[in-house]
Amino acid sequence: EVVDSKPLAGTADLDTLLGKNYGALRDIVINANPSHPPLSLLVLHCLLRKRFHVLSTVHVHSSVSNVPPHLLACFEEQDKNQSRHDFQLGFTLIWKDVPTPQMKFSIQNMCPIEGEGNIARFLFALLGQQQDPITATLVDSWIDMAIFQLGQGSSKEKVAVLRTINAALGRSPWLVGANRSLADIVTCCVVLQAAGPVAIPANVQKWMKSCENLPEFNGVYKLLQ
Amino acid sequence: MTLTLTVNSASPPLGALLTAEHVKSTVNVAIDQGKETSLKVADSVSFNDVNSIVRYLARLSPSHVLYGTNLLEQAEIDHWLEFSSRHLSGQLGSALQELNSALSLRTFLVGNSISLADFCVWSSLKVNSTWQKYFSEGQAPCHIKRWFSFLSNHEVFKSVGGKWTCASVQPQSKLTTDK
Repeated sequence: EVVDSKPLAGTADLDTLLGKNYGALRDIVINANPSHPPLSLLVLHCLLRKRFHVLSTVHVHSSVSNVPPHLLACFEEQDKNQSRHDFQLGFTLIWKDVPTPQMKFSIQNMCPIEGEGNIARFLFALLGQQQDPITATLVDSWIDMAIFQLGQGSSKEKVAVLRTINAALGRSPWLVGANRSLADIVTCCVVLQAAGPVAIPANVQKWMKSCENLPEFNGVYKLLQ
Repeated sequence: MTLTLTVNSASPPLGALLTAEHVKSTVNVAIDQGKETSLKVADSVSFNDVNSIVRYLARLSPSHVLYGTNLLEQAEIDHWLEFSSRHLSGQLGSALQELNSALSLRTFLVGNSISLADFCVWSSLKVNSTWQKYFSEGQAPCHIKRWFSFLSNHEVFKSVGGKWTCASVQPQSKLTTDK
């Protein structure tokens, strides 16, 4: 496992991004349905742990029963001797009977954020990458296409989206720009989960192999059992 | 720089038109009529859905602060953009209750100023026949009604609403000559 629990960046980063923290642990709480694990959020959790000192925990809400063991053990074991003060960020995953993933953040007045794509955008933003308007919006538009047309569309829509992805990957190894972006993370996770009986075109297969080789994708395959 | 926003006047993308109108002091957007909604931003890049178009225009004109003042507000705005496109078409169901409680202590949906969230949620309600019925019959939830009316009197909303939403008004072809 490649997860490094040591912070590579100071708390100053999170203070800039989220406003000054007055002692309490910044806690991200995500409700997700075990029948549809939010794979992209687990990839992002892995990236956050490379960057910050994250306290990760999994809980099960009373609305679901028989959560499979691999979903209960989706985070690394952590040193139980550390106190909450030693961490920069809390990441709590609650398996719950919800129609779509929801995120609550420990800030008063912030509305709960619904939708895997929106939560993924927020988590990725914590990594502090700057993008120009076209790149950022292309990424957003792939995310929406992946989640709604590929994830929830008809077989016909899925085939059409896979064809679009295949064409884009014929021009470049990644969906947007020269490097892997959030568009690749979310789209690849949706393809893994949603393609089902639909045939995966060649460029898409090759690109999925490249995604699989990224260290942050390690944990995802355990969840697909 | 001039961008061209193509709209179909039979179902105008109000959220995109409101955003374009709001940022017009910094970004020049020419409106063209066509079959499909589209904003051409580069030789090989066009955005074809309202949420992508408004995100791009907001990012292009950061001085208007339409996409939140920080990451938390940005996440809330993303939430409402998805809400406007997924939960406010057709039957409104529990979406109105959720929106009403979110607006209970607020002038704007997110933060202390107008944002893409206000533009897109207002636009989805504006063209929703269930909402129109509730509104005209006085059955609209009180906080949404207050917020909706407040925005409707805002200059940008009046201008765009007047041009694009009255069925009796003919498409204004003179808009296409602004290029």
